[in-house]
Amino acid sequence: MSIYLGWISEAHPAVPAWVTLLFVSILAAMILCLAFEEKLHAKKSVIAGLFAILCLLLGAVFGLLPFGPISVGGHEINLPVYIPAIDWEVIAIILGSSLFVDVTSRTGLFTWIAIRLTKASGGDPLKLLVFYGLMTVVFSAVLNNVTAMIIVGSLSGVSLKKLQQEDKLLGFLLVEGLLTNIGGLLTLISSVPNIIVGNAAEIAFLDFFLKSSAYVLVATIVTIALGSRLFGICRLASEAERERARELVAGFDENDGIESRFFFWFGAVMTGLFILTIASTSVLPYIQDLGMGFVALSFAGIMLVRYKAVADKFYEAFDWDLLGFFAALFVVINVMEHALVLQLIGTGLSTIIEAPPDIAAAGLLVVSALFSSVTDNIPLAAMLAKILQARDQVSEQLWWSVIFGANLGGNLTPIGSASTLVAVTIIHKYKLRLTFAGFIRKALPYALVHIALAIIYVLLFF
Amino acid sequence: MTRIDQFESVFKSADKPLFRYEPFSVDSPMVLTDLDDEAAESFAVLAGKYAGAGGSQEISAQRVIRGSDFTSIEDCLDLIAGEKPDLIYTYRGLHSDCWRWGHSLGSYVEVLTQTVSVPVLVFPHPAAAEALPAAEAGCRHVMAMTDHLAGDSGLVNAALFFTPAQGTLHLANLEDQQVFERYMEAIDKIPSIDSAAAQDSVLAQILKEPRDYIQSCRTVVAEQGLDVEIQETVELGLHVADYKRLAAAKDVDLLVMNTKDSGQLAMHGLAYELAVELNEIPLLLL
Repeated sequence: MSIYLGWISEAHPAVPAWVTLLFVSILAAMILCLAFEEKLHAKKSVIAGLFAILCLLLGAVFGLLPFGPISVGGHEINLPVYIPAIDWEVIAIILGSSLFVDVTSRTGLFTWIAIRLTKASGGDPLKLLVFYGLMTVVFSAVLNNVTAMIIVGSLSGVSLKKLQQEDKLLGFLLVEGLLTNIGGLLTLISSVPNIIVGNAAEIAFLDFFLKSSAYVLVATIVTIALGSRLFGICRLASEAERERARELVAGFDENDGIESRFFFWFGAVMTGLFILTIASTSVLPYIQDLGMGFVALSFAGIMLVRYKAVADKFYEAFDWDLLGFFAALFVVINVMEHALVLQLIGTGLSTIIEAPPDIAAAGLLVVSALFSSVTDNIPLAAMLAKILQARDQVSEQLWWSVIFGANLGGNLTPIGSASTLVAVTIIHKYKLRLTFAGFIRKALPYALVHIALAIIYVLLFF
Repeated sequence: MTRIDQFESVFKSADKPLFRYEPFSVDSPMVLTDLDDEAAESFAVLAGKYAGAGGSQEISAQRVIRGSDFTSIEDCLDLIAGEKPDLIYTYRGLHSDCWRWGHSLGSYVEVLTQTVSVPVLVFPHPAAAEALPAAEAGCRHVMAMTDHLAGDSGLVNAALFFTPAQGTLHLANLEDQQVFERYMEAIDKIPSIDSAAAQDSVLAQILKEPRDYIQSCRTVVAEQGLDVEIQETVELGLHVADYKRLAAAKDVDLLVMNTKDSGQLAMHGLAYELAVELNEIPLLLL
């Protein structure tokens, strides 16, 4: 540590080492508070917001912040120092895509797909696990992993109760929770770490998809197979049982949630167009300059026309806590950058990053996974993205190690990712007993397999 | 409301009970009267006209019980236990003249509807001159009525059995308006619930469920090739008065309702009040 601090003091004499250490302790305190947000009964946005206020105040006191006008397109604009600290592209993508998914879900499209798959399974538990598993991955990739878990998890609860297979619900919810983090690896917009790291590494949507899809496919198959084996989810034995299950699932009406046929098809077409446009943003003239945030916000705006008179209901339902958290987090990370905390961590990580390439990639992946398993993977992604961005040459392997590690670490503990937290919430809603340690015990075999597969994948294909 | 609850509600709403067609059959009916030979036979002929989709049915003389065959409720129950019928035809005021005042079904009928597991088809008393002739015209319009139709395949199957080809089956679901209003008043006093939205949503949902079920009945009846027209009445109502109004408006020849309640000795819900008050219409009490 003293070597690192000495190096920082030499390189940046304006920031005393003890100030950097003070900010390190603030960052550690914030991460700790975020890890224990449930115990503190405090929302993420409030925790990060308070730390952002503290960081800004101390940053001003120690003269760390670059006050003064900033240059935008040759024009000097006076902005509060915390405004340019926020990555607005990330905020726009999250705001736009969340609103788009929220409005589109009102068309009944996602529930229609979910119920059609339930009926196609004929109520057979193993087929249901396969279909729900695939649906979780696809929904996580196309929508986001929290929405995917909510849709598939709530359907699992209702359908397994109807099929009188409640004893298998824990296995279903756990496998689905783990698969959200696998599906979250499929596209650039599937999870927030992907958006942050992908943006920093300038990975195009299509490139991201092509490079991650093989891993997602293999990990999905392995997870479902393991889930079926460990939770004893198998096919129904007799024809009479199968017939009864078919009758029971036939009672689901996929058209029940569809208010208007036109809006349903409109939603389906818009979802297709949304994915297509996001995928081709980097090559579309004009759109490439406006970015993915513009695309997401535009699609949300178009969908909102259908509910123009009650658009405020969607704004009310929006997860402002999440958005507030991101904004505050970006401010904290920005101040940490000025306080040379990121450089300090980067120097600390240089032992790993500057090791032989394969060891560096594997090491960074494991460290990212471990770190994101005990706290939110978003600060980790934001921090590592900044640290890697600050380096001269960063191999593709390292960027992908962060992406895989930040996503897969969420499978180690119930607090590792927002979607596994949703899975645990549904598990507790159905009064199924699962403690923190119980989750780790059950999820560990899957998480270890996922991380091992990811290391092999990163080493072989990048 | 969390998004988990929202999606769970969507899926629960999509999970609809479907009508299961399991033909109701009557192979060994029994006619229970307090009449002498000739009058009992006449009543048995009338009962035969209500023998269901299969058309008129002759009831074997051995299964027509006369007034002299029993003198107490115990004897009556013994007779039924011995015959093991799958349907009992009888009338209100059996071995009693209570039918003249219309305040009761009579002790025999009341006990046997609750004691015997088989359905009982209760006609107006044969001496009720203004009532029985209406029944003699036979059964064309059948109404199954309940306050919770969704999923009640037994009720619909029984009603279908008594609906002849080209006849009309009215499926009536009347939700209790007073109960609904009571809950809405309570919701009105809860600041965290939007009262107007709750009223609209709850009403829409409780009326949607029976409507969806009736749609499922129509689909299955069509699939089975049954030549029966199904009409629906799904609304809020003040039970007895509205059921009486409905039965009169639809010119109902037979009213079918559930009466057994595993939790009590008396008839289920409003069945008793309805059975007593609807004294001009034959009733099938399940």
